[in-house]
Amino acid sequence: MNHYDCKYYLNIDVFKGICKRDKGNINADDAACENFEKAQKCKHCSNFSLTANDLGVCMSKYDAYPEMNAVTCNDFK
Amino acid sequence: MTANKDFSGSSADVYNYYGTKPGEDIQTREAKKEPTPRAQKERQMYFDSKSSASVEFPYWYTRRWKQLEGEVAIIRRAEALKSGFEHLTPAILPGELLAMRKANYLRGSYPMPWLSEGFFLAKEDELYKEAQKSGKVSADEVTTMGQGGGNVTKSVGNVISIAGKFGLRKEEMPILINTAKEWFNKSVDDVGHKYEQLVPGYNTKEEIMRAVICMFDSGYTLPQGREVMNYYYPLQFGIEGIKNICKEKQDQSAGYPDMDRLYFYKAVFTMLEGLQTWILNYAKEARFMASLENSKDQKEEYLDIVERLEWLSKNKPRTFHDALQLVWIFHVAVLNEDAISGLSPGRLGQVLYPFWKQDMENGHLTKERTIELLECMRMKFTELDCFASMGVVGGVLSGNTFNNLCIGGLDKDGYSAANELEMLIIESAMSCDTPQPTLSLLFDEKLPEEFLLKGIECTKIGTGYPAWISNRVAMDFLLNNFKKEGMQLEEARAWAIGGCLETSPGSWMPLELNGEIYFIPGGSAPATSVGVHFISLPKILEAVLFDGLDKRTGRRVYPAHGSKLESYEEIWTIFKKYFSLTVEVLTLTNNIQHDIWGKVSPSIINSMLKPDCLEVGKDISHKGCRYNRTFNVEICGGVNLVNSLSSIKKNVFDENKISLQELKAAIESNFGYLSALETGSYSLIEQVKKKNYMDWLKIHKLCLDAPKYGNDDKYVDNIFKEWQIWFSKMCENYLSIYNEPLYSCQISVSTHAPMGAVTLATPDGRLCGTTFADGSVSAYPGTDKNGPYALFNSATCYNHALSQNSQLNMKIHPSVVRGREGSRKFLEMIKAYLRSGAFHAQFNIVDSRMLKDAQKNPDKYRGLMVRVAGFTQYWVELGKQIQDEVIARTEYEQIG
Repeated sequence: MNHYDCKYYLNIDVFKGICKRDKGNINADDAACENFEKAQKCKHCSNFSLTANDLGVCMSKYDAYPEMNAVTCNDFK
Repeated sequence: MTANKDFSGSSADVYNYYGTKPGEDIQTREAKKEPTPRAQKERQMYFDSKSSASVEFPYWYTRRWKQLEGEVAIIRRAEALKSGFEHLTPAILPGELLAMRKANYLRGSYPMPWLSEGFFLAKEDELYKEAQKSGKVSADEVTTMGQGGGNVTKSVGNVISIAGKFGLRKEEMPILINTAKEWFNKSVDDVGHKYEQLVPGYNTKEEIMRAVICMFDSGYTLPQGREVMNYYYPLQFGIEGIKNICKEKQDQSAGYPDMDRLYFYKAVFTMLEGLQTWILNYAKEARFMASLENSKDQKEEYLDIVERLEWLSKNKPRTFHDALQLVWIFHVAVLNEDAISGLSPGRLGQVLYPFWKQDMENGHLTKERTIELLECMRMKFTELDCFASMGVVGGVLSGNTFNNLCIGGLDKDGYSAANELEMLIIESAMSCDTPQPTLSLLFDEKLPEEFLLKGIECTKIGTGYPAWISNRVAMDFLLNNFKKEGMQLEEARAWAIGGCLETSPGSWMPLELNGEIYFIPGGSAPATSVGVHFISLPKILEAVLFDGLDKRTGRRVYPAHGSKLESYEEIWTIFKKYFSLTVEVLTLTNNIQHDIWGKVSPSIINSMLKPDCLEVGKDISHKGCRYNRTFNVEICGGVNLVNSLSSIKKNVFDENKISLQELKAAIESNFGYLSALETGSYSLIEQVKKKNYMDWLKIHKLCLDAPKYGNDDKYVDNIFKEWQIWFSKMCENYLSIYNEPLYSCQISVSTHAPMGAVTLATPDGRLCGTTFADGSVSAYPGTDKNGPYALFNSATCYNHALSQNSQLNMKIHPSVVRGREGSRKFLEMIKAYLRSGAFHAQFNIVDSRMLKDAQKNPDKYRGLMVRVAGFTQYWVELGKQIQDEVIARTEYEQIG
């Protein structure tokens, strides 16, 4: 898994961010460290199912995509 | 490349200058100040970050919109906005004192497909191909985007470049395409396009757009902006207080006639609920960040953010810091409602003064802490990006977002409104010199000298701000323009600049704090610059000379006039006819677009903020604002038009030195030079001759030697005056969607580059594809040879209050204004210009050779800023067309 998938990854821009824990600069697509924890994203939600590359459906009716942050979604489970 | 030695009289290595020849060494600007360590860190992070787009907001907006098929339009819109805000991922960076941003990136923004979706679709997509058939993409094609700084100029790895500006994670592209497709035939762009075709003469409009005689439609590109924010309601009532007003008004309107009021209040209430969740999501994130923090100070700062945001999610601000945070929240909230450029905070130092005074008096705030907060505010504004098409973002805005903060002016009772907080605002703009917010000093004779000298101190260090603007001329314009809607002298004083230079009406609202009433200024009109946007005057003249054709493409734009053009008067008459036709058809089509905007995508947040929408229960598109005469006609290339008319009049008709046919042949041959598009150089001083250039040399010299604007020469200045008077008057012949006459607006922003790029050589000697003169009263580079006061006399040969603005850019060598004596001399020069009836002047204090070096070595100049036309921008984020134009501007080595 990459930093981009980690709960502690904080975006600066589309390429990079910082680690919320140690405040270090990190590239989004570099491999994550041992403290990695899964970010709350659609791809980890039971309401989400993948239908194509980078596309899926949410609750069987809404278009969605796996990498979307779901930290603010009340239906995430 | 061979330099054009015939025009400048010297090699291109020596730039255009007036006065003493500059010394050998590049002169630096006067000593700069440094920001606080906190702002320094934020600025470095900004320098290191890229413009980044995300799909979160449009995804959730669209998803909710689809759920509410059949709902009342404004309620549907409010629910969609609410969903967008509620689902934004909060992102708080260490060290931030002001939380919250547009999207979850530092320079974050997002597409708004409800306005226009075609741009986001892949090029191979059929929908995109359909969009390409219209004239809409023409401006995009001739625009260059800055190749450095934060622009994502090409796709790399998992990031896709959009329009050479924005980066998008590639995993978000499929959902963006799907989301965009949801708006096919539903967006403001598509629905507006469907109905604008019903306008008689629509085909002429399409040809005008294709020829880039007009730069862009305003209804779906930037439907809001170029206006002044009004923060009164949140500051006075807090969010819960506004909700209570809505609830009360809702009860009073439910079931009664004029039912739109009910839906408006319900929509505002709904949208405010969304904002509350958005704010609380940030508070939650701040608490999470605090839980991870080892540093005691940083942990306290996060917890301070938690407390402040939780308080402000319901209540009115208690302190200066609270008030500044709330101002920022609502500023971003409006920006997230539509694609907006030029959303100005207005006279923010006067709005926040009561809170600042209170905190200073009770010892809760120091000047040092104020500076730190203001610097953080500057970084927040600088981070703003506007996601729009390449033609708009690059060709018009140069990546800027035009958040103009005004200082000075008069208070409600006619006394100087300058205050101590504004002195600190200037100070912070010097210590943390960033493009946003830019400053405008509303000059009035009543302002204290100390305040004016502080403004000079700031201008001198090369920030490009403050712009110097006449309070008196602006008030004259406002009183004349808005008298029908009841504007009185007292309220005229509440004005500010919206966007780069748009004079915008305001109002005084009674803010109560600690039992004292403060009348604070704020905007009370919708966008003051929508309508007919950027008409290329030299391109219309080209059509006159070539019987209505766009010679670049060979397409017919205007009906053939069939005239032999045997007199100057005939040319002038046909020019007016073509220009009038242009304004007419664009007014009608833009009115339709704006009507559709009001129906499909009405403003809710901004409407709520603007007096008197909340009072009367009407949104902006239903004339809820106090002042509504806000549509205008914007032009570009006025000085090149006037210089060209002068050349034709002199050489062809008055002195019969050449025939019009000979002149046209020379124009078609570009006077024997390669075009700028072939050379990649866009200023006149560096162009490449063709082998046959001698064939055209005589005619070219006659054109270059003809009287030029900017030299206090009545021959050409009278043409300029005649044009100005006619233009301002003719605008009143056309009515906006609000049934109010249009007015004239004269700013080029960055349009003088792409519009110059599509225009043949002009009769003034300018070469094909080169950039027009900037602004509206700036001389064409190198042609103002008699010094600044001659330029001022030319510029003020007409009444500037006839128009929403005028724009003068001057480039002054740093050595001229050095030291206290230089400051005094500089201030006296500005005063002399403004006292003579001018509206505006702004300055680049820079050695042109530094700019040339920066063009060659951009990595050495990441923080270098220049003034373009109404805005300051990082050099490295400007397109080459504009860079070349700024370098070529006449540089003054003397101002006496």
